[in-house]
Amino acid sequence: MANMKINKKDLVQLLGQWSQEFELFVPSRDGDNPRFLPWDGKDTGFLDWYRNTVIPPKSTMLPPVEEMFRFQKEKGKVQLEAPSADSKRRLLFGIRPCDANAMTLLDKNFEDGYEDPYYFNRRKNTLLVGLACTRPYDSCFCTSMGGSPSDASKVDIMLTDIGEQFLVEAVTDAGKDLIAKTGGLEEATEADAARAEESRKAAERKVTRKVDTSDITERLRASFEDKEFWEKTAAKCVSCGICTFLCPTCYCFFINDETNKQCGVRCKGWDSCAFSCYTRMPMENPRSEKWKRVRQKMAHKYEYYPMTYGVMACTGCGRCIRNCPVNWDITQVIKSVPAKARVESK
Amino acid sequence: MEQKLRSEARALLEQGKVDYIFGYEPGSLKFTTTPLLTRDKNDVDRLVVNPFIVNNLAKFLTELKGRVGIVVKGCDSRSLVSLIQDNKVARGNVVILGVPCEGLIDLSKVEKLVGRERDELDDILREGDKVFVTVDGKKREFPIADVAFDKCLACELPTPKEYDILLGAPTSPIGQKDAGYTAIDNLKGKIPQERWEFWKKEFSRCIRCYACRNVCPACFCQRCFVEETEPKWVEPTANWQDNLLFQVVRNIHVAGRCSDCGECERACPVKIPLRALTREMYDIVGELFDFKTGMDKNEPSLMTHYEKEEAEGLIR
Amino acid sequence: MEQKSEWDPQIVGFLCKWCSYAGADLAGTSRKKYPPNVRVIKVPCSGRVDPLFVLKGLRMGFDGVLVSGCHPGDCHYQTGNYRARRKMAITKKFLEYMGVEPERIQASWVSASEGDKFAATVADVTDNLKKTGPNRLFEDRRENNGTEASK
Repeated sequence: MANMKINKKDLVQLLGQWSQEFELFVPSRDGDNPRFLPWDGKDTGFLDWYRNTVIPPKSTMLPPVEEMFRFQKEKGKVQLEAPSADSKRRLLFGIRPCDANAMTLLDKNFEDGYEDPYYFNRRKNTLLVGLACTRPYDSCFCTSMGGSPSDASKVDIMLTDIGEQFLVEAVTDAGKDLIAKTGGLEEATEADAARAEESRKAAERKVTRKVDTSDITERLRASFEDKEFWEKTAAKCVSCGICTFLCPTCYCFFINDETNKQCGVRCKGWDSCAFSCYTRMPMENPRSEKWKRVRQKMAHKYEYYPMTYGVMACTGCGRCIRNCPVNWDITQVIKSVPAKARVESK
Repeated sequence: MEQKLRSEARALLEQGKVDYIFGYEPGSLKFTTTPLLTRDKNDVDRLVVNPFIVNNLAKFLTELKGRVGIVVKGCDSRSLVSLIQDNKVARGNVVILGVPCEGLIDLSKVEKLVGRERDELDDILREGDKVFVTVDGKKREFPIADVAFDKCLACELPTPKEYDILLGAPTSPIGQKDAGYTAIDNLKGKIPQERWEFWKKEFSRCIRCYACRNVCPACFCQRCFVEETEPKWVEPTANWQDNLLFQVVRNIHVAGRCSDCGECERACPVKIPLRALTREMYDIVGELFDFKTGMDKNEPSLMTHYEKEEAEGLIR
Repeated sequence: MEQKSEWDPQIVGFLCKWCSYAGADLAGTSRKKYPPNVRVIKVPCSGRVDPLFVLKGLRMGFDGVLVSGCHPGDCHYQTGNYRARRKMAITKKFLEYMGVEPERIQASWVSASEGDKFAATVADVTDNLKKTGPNRLFEDRRENNGTEASK
């Protein structure tokens, strides 16, 4: 299928068309708290300010709080009631390549062993329409994590800014089907393709933060027992949940029952390995010390994930750097992990 | 000021008067700083003092054992003194390096004024009462009162009262107190139901990352009530009711310890206007008990002290 | 939904065991008539009452919270009630600022001999709360689960 294009000012009509069939999510300012919210059907004002959201789009698949089921005890029997499943198909418009990449990383965890129904009910029902990044932040480092501001490989449809228009590229079959039945698109010319290429290169040049992750897995393994290094690294961390909650690839959740006498609801919600109570057990807490939690966070992303799934659990979106209250910079930590074991492992 | 700080810090470490230096070094992002907590005298040359030293380093005192040379602004010094009052920190274990503060620059205000985000600005320069922001090669001028944090506008003690070494000449408050109260005044103009609705809406977006609590030097509990499970005081799920309850109780628990340093509000990733709570509590405590946080290390802390006759109007 | 029964406020009372709890006992044994709206929790001292209890009471759906202890100077532990006074004063003021009706948070001094005062206090608090209306502070129309207090 040839690439298409659409005028920026016609984007409202395009979204209007799609919102007939899909529940449409777009980047929304929500006061001063950018996140993906259902489209209000009005405009595409987000194009003016949108760089990336603070709350990552994982919140549309793995919400901060989610009801798993309700339960009620009646005459000695327990009745369970599942929440009504959303059946309407969803479309996430404007997801950045780094966050789309993060979705594929989340998939790996939630399909491991068995498919998590809560996550995949939404994930499989959702089409991702990417918007190539033109204004990366100074904290972005996607190019060091194998991505790029215009990487189209993890979305269904990709839009690239070519001035007055967007180049529209159908990537997956689902994307192609949707484009085929979407009106108002023009076929792109070779000049458009060239302009898109230029736009991609320009954006890539703006990603100035670089970090070499080629041997980080080995370095982390070698430094596991290096308490001195980890204590120094963790010193200024305040153990809040910002970097994990805002990370598009972090998926930890707790399960909690809210009960009242004979009935209640079982919920799941975001949890964070940065919290000191995260691993608390009746007898002990294996990660009660801060440096162990910081080590865990690093090792999970850059050592255990690659060992288990062959990819690192980081896409370089930079949210953890931008939003950290003490400027704990994960790229600096990646750089500083010692190359050789300084401590004999036991 | 930086040179003096570096040489004093180096001397303290070299003479073995302290085990650690807590200060600020340039952050990894433009116009930011980051806490530098070090035992290494070779690190002290990275120490900086500039209008972006936002963190309240007193937070780290309750974590580490040992003697600490700590850089504090006025507000931080009050947190530190409050910790001394509560016997969380021994005065003899800290060497206080006081920074006479001229007010810190609130980057979110700058971003709003120039319509660009932090990383797109070329330069921010403070000269006296003026701040020059260069963006796209154009230099724009703002009075400090327009770009300083609200807490700095309402600040009562820019120069630490309790210190061992003062790093410069004492400064006076910016003196725009009313401007530091905009959010609170707006709320007070509303009827109770509207105020509650306001907070309900604000707390509905809280994601319970606990950054507000974890950056707070007054929140030094080993275990917070929100983490108790028997009894379970609040649900861990981020619903607005429990979010709000958490924050209200946190504010009450740190009453008289909160120096209105504004770190909770700055750290909040979903921008809940928490200073509209902390400042009100600060003023309530002042009004009822004539108490101001961390002004005098010999004064007892708010909750360990009482007067025979006070606040009787509120009791039946 | 609207049954014939009139809404009646529910109050949780934290009573010091040395004074107000005994005062409540006295009100009972001397057959004082007062509204049955307070659910009493005995505490060792009014100073034991963490403002968290007050908030938790409101969160659970109680229409009012009453904290009652010994008169100033009479604390069994010398100073517990003075501390309670500081805590309750800031709690009341702060919650008022948040938008909570001040009638919902009550503190009183009731000695073991003041059965009359206890009865009068409860009657007055109940009466005020009837005017204030039910506590809908933490109500959420969508929420219909366990965390709502038993009614």
